[in-house]
Amino acid sequence: MQELVLVQPGRTAGDQLEREAAQADTRREFEQRLSECGPLAYRVARGVLRNSADAEDVAQEAMLRAYRQFDRLRDRSRFKAWLVRIAFRLALDRLRAGKRRELRDTVWSQPEHQPPAVNAEDLAASNEFQAHLENALAELPEKLRLVLLLAAMEGQTIDEIASMLGISTGTVKSRIFYARRQLAEKLRCYANIIKKR
Amino acid sequence: MLCQHYKEALIEAAASSAQAQGELRAHLDACASCRAEFEREQTLFASIDAGLHVTANPEVPASLLPRVRARLDEAATPLTHWFQPWIFAAASVALAVTIFLIAPPHHTRPDSQAKQAPQIPVAVTPGISAHQQNSGASARIASSNVDRSQRGHHSTLLRPLASSQLEVLVPPDERDAFASFVAVLGERREVELALVTPGPQREDEPTSLAPLQINELEIRLLAGTESEQSDEAEQKQ
Repeated sequence: MQELVLVQPGRTAGDQLEREAAQADTRREFEQRLSECGPLAYRVARGVLRNSADAEDVAQEAMLRAYRQFDRLRDRSRFKAWLVRIAFRLALDRLRAGKRRELRDTVWSQPEHQPPAVNAEDLAASNEFQAHLENALAELPEKLRLVLLLAAMEGQTIDEIASMLGISTGTVKSRIFYARRQLAEKLRCYANIIKKR
Repeated sequence: MLCQHYKEALIEAAASSAQAQGELRAHLDACASCRAEFEREQTLFASIDAGLHVTANPEVPASLLPRVRARLDEAATPLTHWFQPWIFAAASVALAVTIFLIAPPHHTRPDSQAKQAPQIPVAVTPGISAHQQNSGASARIASSNVDRSQRGHHSTLLRPLASSQLEVLVPPDERDAFASFVAVLGERREVELALVTPGPQREDEPTSLAPLQINELEIRLLAGTESEQSDEAEQKQ
C-alpha cells in the first residue's frame, strides 16, 4: 500500500492577475515614452539607411526590443538614449547585411521634404550633391555619424545630445566639428556642383 | 606661399561658421583669390549642413506608431498565454518520467491476469488542504490512496484527465517539496529551461575485461613420497 498524491502545477488566479496588471502598467508607461521617442528612432534609422521602408522596419524592431527589455531598464530617464542606440545599432546591422528593399524612396524623390529655397539649402537640394553627401556620411566613423545626425535633427540641442549619449558637451561639439571637416574633405571635389547651381 | 599659410585657418573659420578675424581677415581683404576660396568653403559647409538637415529630418510615416502598437500586442500575447503553459507541461512530463524511473520495480503479473483485472478507478480528492492553500504554492495537490499491489504498475494510474490542467503523481513525502518546486519554477526560468532541455545522448561503451593472468603451474612431489619409496625398496631387498 503506497500513497501517491496527484499534483496539478498551474498558476493561481491571483498570480495571473498580478502578472497581467504589471504588464498593463509596463505597457502604459512604455507607450507614453513611445510617442516622444518613436519618431527619433525612425529618423536615426533613416539617416543611416537612407531608405524609408527599411528605416520603418528597423524603428519598429528597435521599439519592440526596447519593450521586451523595458523592465531591465533601471533608469527610465535614459530611455531615449537607449532607444536611439538600439535603433542606430540595428540600422547599422541592416546596412551591413546589405538588405535592400526594392522600393527606394530617396531624398530626391521627395521634394516636399526639402527645405525652403534659401541659397545654401537650395544648393544642397541638388540631387547629385545630396547623393555624394549621403555617401560621405555613410563613410564616417559611427561615433561621428550618430552625433552629426542627432545634431542635425530638429529640436535636439547639444546639451540633450550630450545627455542622451552620456558624453560631455565639449565632446559633442568636437565630434560635430571633426565630422563636418571630414565631410568637407570628401565633398570638396564636388564643389563645382554647387558652383554651377 | 603666403596664401598656403592661411589655408588651414581659412577652412577652420568656414567650418566653425565664424567670421574671419584678425590676421586672416586682413589677408582676405588683401587677397581676392583667398577671399573667393573662403566663400567657396563657406558655401560648402552651408550646403553640408543643409543636406544633413534634409537627411536627418525626414517625415515620420503616420503608420509607424500604430504598427508598433500592433506588434506589441502580438508580442505580449504568446508570452502570457501560450508560452508558460507549455513550459509547465514540459516540466510536469519530465517530473513524471523521473518518478517513473526512480520508483522501485514491482512484481509483474502475467498478461492474462493483467487483462482480466478490472481497471481500478482512481479516487482523487479534488479539494485542497488548508496547509497547501496557506503555503502559497501555485500547485493544486490532491491526495489519493492507492493499493500498489492491485495496480501492478503505477503508470496505470495516469487516468484520462478531465480537466485541462496537467497532473503529476508524486509520493506523499515529496508533495510539499514538489509544491515548493513548482512555486519556484515561475521565478527561475533557468530551472524551467533545464527541465525541458534534453540531456546529451551518450552511447554505452562496451566494457572490456582484461584476460586473467595465471602463473605457470609448478608440480612438486608431495611430502612423504620420498620415505614411502625407500620403504618399498627395503621390502624388495
